[in-house]
Amino acid sequence: MGSQAKDEAGRNTLDPVEAELCSHMQGYLDGRIEAFDALYAAFAGRLRGYLLSLCRDATLADDLLQETFMQIHRSRRTYQPGRPVTPWVYAIARNVYLMKRRSAGRRVRFEEALAADSRASDGSRDALGTIAESDAVRRALREVPPDQRQALLMHHVQGWSFIEIAARLGIRVNAAKTRAFRGMKKMREHLK
Amino acid sequence: MSAPKELRDAIERDLRPTRPLRSPWVRALVLAPLAVAIVLSVPGLRFFRSDMSAIGFLRAWGFSFGQAFAGLVIVAAALRESIPGRGLSRGAIAATVALGLAIPVALLGVTASAFDIGPAPGQALEEGIGCFRVSAISAIPALIAAAFLAARAFPMRPGLAGALYGLGCGLIADAGLRLFCEYTVPSHVLFGHGGAILAAMVFGAVVAKIIPRR
Repeated sequence: MGSQAKDEAGRNTLDPVEAELCSHMQGYLDGRIEAFDALYAAFAGRLRGYLLSLCRDATLADDLLQETFMQIHRSRRTYQPGRPVTPWVYAIARNVYLMKRRSAGRRVRFEEALAADSRASDGSRDALGTIAESDAVRRALREVPPDQRQALLMHHVQGWSFIEIAARLGIRVNAAKTRAFRGMKKMREHLK
Repeated sequence: MSAPKELRDAIERDLRPTRPLRSPWVRALVLAPLAVAIVLSVPGLRFFRSDMSAIGFLRAWGFSFGQAFAGLVIVAAALRESIPGRGLSRGAIAATVALGLAIPVALLGVTASAFDIGPAPGQALEEGIGCFRVSAISAIPALIAAAFLAARAFPMRPGLAGALYGLGCGLIADAGLRLFCEYTVPSHVLFGHGGAILAAMVFGAVVAKIIPRR
């Protein structure tokens, strides 16, 4: 039995809604943007509700929704034709939420460390103002290449999502992440 | 509901026909030649156990390749675990780990004529370390290949997936080791053989956490 026939057989065992999602997913794998539109229309509302139930923050849920669709795009080859799309999509959404929670924890710890560092030099100023003014941080930031510094500040100080940064700078989301990550790494090295 | 323009544009820029990954079982078969090479090379590059002819063809080669096959099945389970939405249930994970750890013990049970064959006095540690090292090093090529295969998916629980393929690769290496080492004393078997399988599990979990998911 050929793989196409097997996919067809798999689709026949699914309920009609799931079978339709399967065919959209197949179209997406074939490179059709309309199939992505159909998947977005089918899942965006449900996924937003699901993400909102996890994070309890409407703005963050919107951000996570975009990131989930980016991750779906990056992981689309892991979808196995003929299998239900819904559990696959929800598993990715849950993982995006968990990754965000972990990185948020790391960011909070980083900002707390910076704030503690700046409190030691001047306890009266607020954390963000001190981050910007701290000599050590400024010196370290100067050592970071401009493109990485920009992504780092947009994400870690101004709180932009990587999708927003990518759209603003006209680069790919992965490139935005890489720049921010490398910038942070260089800054850490200079702060040591 | 339609996608925001910047998201849609980002997707459209990167959109091209994509071939889905093959099923976990088919991808695990990629490791089959490597598994055969490992089983053959562990004794082949050193020496075969002295009682090979006494234990017979089936209990020597048959059981070793059976154990290596079980290792491949566990690697396939790990590759399945790496696919979003196809994670293993707790029961399946427990059964897989229990099976993986029970197989070498069971094969030892049906192969050994007595459980008191061990290293010469004073050489227990050295021999134990020797078997541990041979087994652990032999597992590495399969483990790296399995890690690469798993990372091509998008594992939700990379540590778990890594521990599972580590277990599978540890079993494959141990399948070669049992053609090379004839000791049956529990202290040697638990440390030199079981310890190497557990080390492969831990190493797999660490590798899976380190390598980026694609």
